[in-house]
Amino acid sequence: MDMLTSKIFLRKTKRGKVLKVVREHYLRDDLWCGSDLCKKCNQENSEVLDDAPLSSSTLCACPHYVVVDTNVVLHQIDVLESPAWKNVIVLQTVLEETRKRSTNNFKKLKEIMATRKDNFYVFVNEHHKDTYVERNPGESANDRNDRAIRKACSWYQTHLEESQQGRDKKKKIQIILLTQDFKNREQALKEGIPAYKVDEYVKSLKDFPDLQEKLAASHSEDNAENREPLFPEHWAPTRIMTGIKSGKLLQGIFHCSRENFLEGSVSVEGQDKSILLQGHASLNRAVDGDIVAVELLPEDKWTSPSGIVLEDQEDQDPGDQIEKEEALLSNSAKGKDRQPTGKVVGIIRRKWRQYCGILLPSVLAEGTRHLFVPAERKIPKIRIETRQAATLSSQKIIVAIDSWPRTSRYPLGHFVRALGNIGDKDTENEVLLLEHDVPHHSFPETVLACLPSMPWTISQEEVKRREDLRNLDICSVDPPGCTDIDDALHFRELSPNLYEIGVHIADVSHFVRPDTALDKEAANRGTTVYLVDRRIDMVPELLSSNLCSLRPDQERLAFSVIWEVTPNAEIKKTRFTKSVIRSRRAFTYAEAQCSIDDPLQQNELAKSLRGLNKLAKIMKKNRMDKGALQLSSPEIRFEVSTETNDPIDVISKPMLDTNSMVEEFMLLANISVAEHIFKHFPECAVLRRHPVPPESNFEPFLKAGKTQGFTLDVSSNKALAASLDAAVKPDNVYMNTMLRILATRCMMQAVYFSSGTVAPVDFYHYGLAAPIILISHLPFAGLYADLLVHRLLAVAIGADVTYADLLDRKCVQQLCNNLNYRHKMSQYAQRSSVALHTHLFFRHRVQDEDAYVLSVRQNALQVLIPKYGLEGSIYLKEKDEDSKPAFIYNPDVPSQTCGNITIRTFDRIVVQVSLDSKYVQHQKIAVHLVQPQIAGLSVEAIKTVNDSEPIPKKLKAGK
Amino acid sequence: MSIAPQLLRGPSLMAEILLSEAEKAFIHHGDDLRCDGRTRLDYRPIILETGLVSNASGSSRLRLANSDVLVGVKVELASPLSEKPLEGRLEFFVDCSANATPEFEGRGGEDLANEICRFLQMSYMSGDTINLSELSVLAGQQCWVLYVDILILECGGNLYDTVSLAVKSALYTTQIPSIKVATMDGDQPELELSEDPYDTKRLNTQNVPCLVTLMKIGNHYLVDPTPEEECCSSSGVVVAVSGSKKITAVRKIGSGSLHPESLVSMLKTASEVGAVVNKILMKKLLEEETAGKTQKVGFMR
Repeated sequence: MDMLTSKIFLRKTKRGKVLKVVREHYLRDDLWCGSDLCKKCNQENSEVLDDAPLSSSTLCACPHYVVVDTNVVLHQIDVLESPAWKNVIVLQTVLEETRKRSTNNFKKLKEIMATRKDNFYVFVNEHHKDTYVERNPGESANDRNDRAIRKACSWYQTHLEESQQGRDKKKKIQIILLTQDFKNREQALKEGIPAYKVDEYVKSLKDFPDLQEKLAASHSEDNAENREPLFPEHWAPTRIMTGIKSGKLLQGIFHCSRENFLEGSVSVEGQDKSILLQGHASLNRAVDGDIVAVELLPEDKWTSPSGIVLEDQEDQDPGDQIEKEEALLSNSAKGKDRQPTGKVVGIIRRKWRQYCGILLPSVLAEGTRHLFVPAERKIPKIRIETRQAATLSSQKIIVAIDSWPRTSRYPLGHFVRALGNIGDKDTENEVLLLEHDVPHHSFPETVLACLPSMPWTISQEEVKRREDLRNLDICSVDPPGCTDIDDALHFRELSPNLYEIGVHIADVSHFVRPDTALDKEAANRGTTVYLVDRRIDMVPELLSSNLCSLRPDQERLAFSVIWEVTPNAEIKKTRFTKSVIRSRRAFTYAEAQCSIDDPLQQNELAKSLRGLNKLAKIMKKNRMDKGALQLSSPEIRFEVSTETNDPIDVISKPMLDTNSMVEEFMLLANISVAEHIFKHFPECAVLRRHPVPPESNFEPFLKAGKTQGFTLDVSSNKALAASLDAAVKPDNVYMNTMLRILATRCMMQAVYFSSGTVAPVDFYHYGLAAPIILISHLPFAGLYADLLVHRLLAVAIGADVTYADLLDRKCVQQLCNNLNYRHKMSQYAQRSSVALHTHLFFRHRVQDEDAYVLSVRQNALQVLIPKYGLEGSIYLKEKDEDSKPAFIYNPDVPSQTCGNITIRTFDRIVVQVSLDSKYVQHQKIAVHLVQPQIAGLSVEAIKTVNDSEPIPKKLKAGK
Repeated sequence: MSIAPQLLRGPSLMAEILLSEAEKAFIHHGDDLRCDGRTRLDYRPIILETGLVSNASGSSRLRLANSDVLVGVKVELASPLSEKPLEGRLEFFVDCSANATPEFEGRGGEDLANEICRFLQMSYMSGDTINLSELSVLAGQQCWVLYVDILILECGGNLYDTVSLAVKSALYTTQIPSIKVATMDGDQPELELSEDPYDTKRLNTQNVPCLVTLMKIGNHYLVDPTPEEECCSSSGVVVAVSGSKKITAVRKIGSGSLHPESLVSMLKTASEVGAVVNKILMKKLLEEETAGKTQKVGFMR
C-alpha cells in the first residue's frame, strides 16, 4: 500500500480565480487502537478503552465501545457531557467535521475530552493506513465522511476480533455506531455494524434516566453549506442609470439609523422627506454614507420608523445566516406617520473608509476568521481574517472593507494596523481623531519654514502701516486656561452720548500668506479642533498660542472693528482697520463678571466692561425681538487631574453675562464685516448661513410638545422663539431646556458658502436672526474661513492686495465645502471626546443622577443626564428575556406603563450610571433606572442623591 | 568532396550534429529502409503517461525516441475576447529547457518555442478541432482559458509531432471544474464552484489535430525524422491533421523548395498518417483511462 496519498480539492480565491489545491496526505501504520484488550497494537499502557466494559444499555446488552457520528456531536453535545459515557471512540473525521461546522461545539467537545481523558479516545482514522478512504467520484463530502466513519467501525471490529478469539461470544466487545442520520444508520446496518439512533440509545441507559432530558429535539439534517444568497442582487450600473433617468429609481446618500441597525434612511436631494429603509433585504448591504439607488415600494407597503432600539448584539459570529427580523422590526406603527419606504437596488458609489474598532472575542482563538466591531455604531460588523487574533483582541485596530458578497452576512475586510491598547487614553484619542478624519499629524518642515523666526518683534515699518491703538485700554475675556486668545475688546466714552467700542481680532492673515505651504496646510485642516484634553491646531502653535494670541502686555498685530454707538446701542459709524494693540489684561469669564459686579472696582477696565455689558444686553434684546432663537445643548467641562490627566469631576459650563457679552460683540463684528465684504465682493464673499429648516424636521419636536400640553408654533423663527419662551412648567424647570435641546436637533447645520453661489434671499441666518453673517459665536482665529474673511476685508479696506483664487467663486466654494466637512467632523470629534472622558470618569464610579426622558420608545427609554450631558438607553424589554416586568407601550402619547407607573417624555427620573465592563473590550456606559421603583427593572440607589427633590407624586401614581 | 564528418543543422533550428559522408549518403539514397530499421512511414516507439502533474488540471509526458516533452494544462477563469463572447480559448506556451540542448540556454530556444507556439495556435484555430463554446461559462463575461504549458526536456528530432501528441493527451485528460452562476450582483456574476472535486467535465478531443512532419530527402519523403535525417533534408512540411483526416494547417520548413506535385502527394500521405496516429493515440488514452489508478512511473525509470 502506498503510504503517500494526496488530497485534491478546488478552491476559489477572493479574486475569483479557481485554484486546484493538492495536499500530500501521509498514512501511517503505527496508530494504535487504544483498547486495553488489544494484543496487536504496540501501545504503551495508556489505553483508554476498557478491557471488559460494562454495558448499562438495555438496547445493546453485550459489552461495547461507542463510536459517535458527527451529527451527534453537532446536535447532542449536551448529552455527551454526561458521565454516562464511557469507552467512546472519537474519530478524527468527526473532530474535523465538527470543527468546520461549529466552532462552538468543537470547543465543547475538546473540553469534554480534556476533562474525561479516561473515557474518550481519539482515533486518528484519517491517517491510519487501513481506515483512510478516498473520496469517490460523485460522492459528496458528507457521504465520504460517513463512509470513513463506517470504515473505521468495521476496522475496529475486525481488529479487536483477532485479540479476543477465545472469548465467549456474549462477552465479545462490539463496536456500535451512534448516529442521527437515517441514511448512515441504514448503510451501517447493511455493512454489519450495529448502529443505533442516539436518542434510542440514551433512553436505554438504565443507570442514567435523567440523561434523556438533555436530548435536543432531533434536528432535521441541516445544511451547513448554506450558500444561498442572503441578499437580493444589486442591479447592473446601466440599469440603475436608466432607472434614475426615467425617475423610477432615486439616488441619495444612505444613513444608517443610530438606534436600530436594521433601519436606515436615504436622503434624496430635492426631497423633503427621506426614504425609509427597513430590514436586511431593503438595506441590501448599504453601508452608512454610500450613495445608493433606491426603488420606492408601492404606497400600501409604506411604514413608519419602528419605535424600538436595536443593536446588533451577536456576541459571536453567527455564520452566514440572517436572524429572523420580523420580531425585530414588526411593530412599526402602520397607518398614520407613514413615510415613503423603499429598498436599495444598487450601490452607485461606496464610501468605504477605514474603520477603527475592536475584535469580537472569538470562541476559537486559533481560528482565523473573526468579527470586527467598529467604533461607529452605524457601521456593520466586519468579518476579517487574521492569525494574530490573540494579540489584537486587546487592541484598537483599523480595518478596511473589501467587499460584501451576497452570500455573506457581514462585509468582508482586512486588518490594516493596530492603534494601541483598548482603554488607553492616547489610543482612544487617536481613534476618535481618525474616526472623524481630523488631520493631526505634526506640521511638516515646509510648513514650519513659513513661520517668522523668534524672537519676534513688530518692525517700525509695520507699525507705520497700521493704526496704533496701543494707548487704548483693551482687554480680553476667555474661558479659563485659554492660550489662544484671539479676540479682545475695548470701550471708551467719546462724549456722554457717544461711545466707542472696538473688537480686535488677532491678525492671522499677516502670518499666513496665500499660497504658502502653511496656507495649504491650514486650508486642509480647516479648523482648530478642541478636544477635552487636547487641541489640534490649524496653524502651528507658535502662531496660535503666541504671535496670534492677544496676550496681556504684549504688542500684537490685530484687525480691529471700531464702532461709534449711542447709549441705546444704535450704531452711528463703523470702520475697519489693521492695528497694533497691547491688551491690558486677560480676563476669564468669571473674573470679568466679578469686575462688573464689584462696585468697589473703579479702574478703567472695570468701567469698560460695565459699559460693554450694558450695550450687549440692549443689543441682545433687540435681536431677540427680531426672532433670534435661544437654543440649548448641554455643555460640560471636565476637571482634569493634573497628574494622571484623567477626569476627576464634571462641571456643566456656567452661562455668565460676560459669556453672552463676548458673543454679542463677536456677532456684531461678524455682521459688520459680512456686510462690508459682501458690498465689495458680491461674488465671492465667504459667508455663513443657517438655512430655514423644513417643516418636517420639527415633527418629533412638535409631538414632544404635545405630550406636555403645549402647542408650539414653528412657522417662523420668531414664532418658535415665542412659543419656546411660553412653554414653561413650574414643576419641571428643566423641561424648557429639554424642549430647546430638542429644537436644536431639528435645526439645519449652518454652512459656509461663497456668496456668488447662493441667492441673497437664502443668506438669512435662522437661529441668530441676522440678515447676513460670517460666523456664529465661535472665536475668530480657529477657522480657515476667518483667514479668507481677513484677506477679503484687508483688500476691501486697501490694506492688502488680492490674488486670483481669492476672487474665484468656484475656488472659494471648494474651500467652503472642505470647511463645512471639517467643521462638522470637528464637532463630532469634540462630542466623542466628551463621551470618552465620560467613560474614563465612570471607570471607577457608580453614581445616581437625575435624568430626563428624552423620548419613549417601544422597548426603551432614551434618557438625558443633564449633569454629564450624557444620553443613554434604558431597555425595558430585551430580545429573549421574560424576567423584566411587562411594560405597556402607548404609541400615541407616547408612554410606557407598568402597573401604576407611567413614564412619558420629559419626565424626571433617577438613574444609576456606571461603566459596563462586562466585556473588557467593549465598555459602555450603562444606565439603570433607580426611581420610580419598578420591581425587576430598577436597581437600588447607592446613596441618596444630593440636591434633588423627591420625585413628584403624580409620576408615581400615574394618570 | 571531403570525407570528414560535417557539422550540420536541421531545418527546425536544432543542435548541430556530426554526420559522416557515408551516413549522409545512406540517408539520401537508401531504399525504404532507414538507419534504425524503419520504413519511411514508420514512427519510432512512443512512451506516454498522463496525469503526472497533480497540480495541473491535465498533464501528460510524451517521449518519442529521444524527444521528451512534458505538458501541463491549467484552467483559469477570465473574460472572453470581445470578438468571441461565447467562446473560451486556449493559450500555448512553449519552454525550451536548456536541458534539452545547450543551445537553448538563455533565450536560445525562444525562436523555436515561438514557432511551435504559433503553429499550434494556428492548427487549433479551425472550428472543427475543438469546440471552444464548451469553455464559455457566462456569455460575454466569464469563460475558461486553458493555459497549455509545454516543456521541452530533450530534443531527439521531430519536435512538432512530439509536442502535438503530448498536448492532445494533456487536453484529453484535462478536467474542467463544474461551475455555475449562482447569483448576479450589480452585473458581477457570483460564480459557485462545485464542491465535489470529481464533478468536472472533459473536452471532446476527438478532432484535436496531430502534427505530422514530412521531410523531403532526395526524391522521397519520410515521417518522424531523426536529427540526422533532419540535417540531410532541405525542406519539408508540417501538417496538422484532425481526427477526421482534415488538414487544419500546413507549414513548410527548411530553406529548400518543393514541387507542387510532391507537395500534393505529401499532404495526402500526411493526412493518412495523421488519421492513423490520431486513432492509435485515442485508443491508448482510453486504455490508460479504463485501467484506472495505476502506479505513476514519472521520471523514475
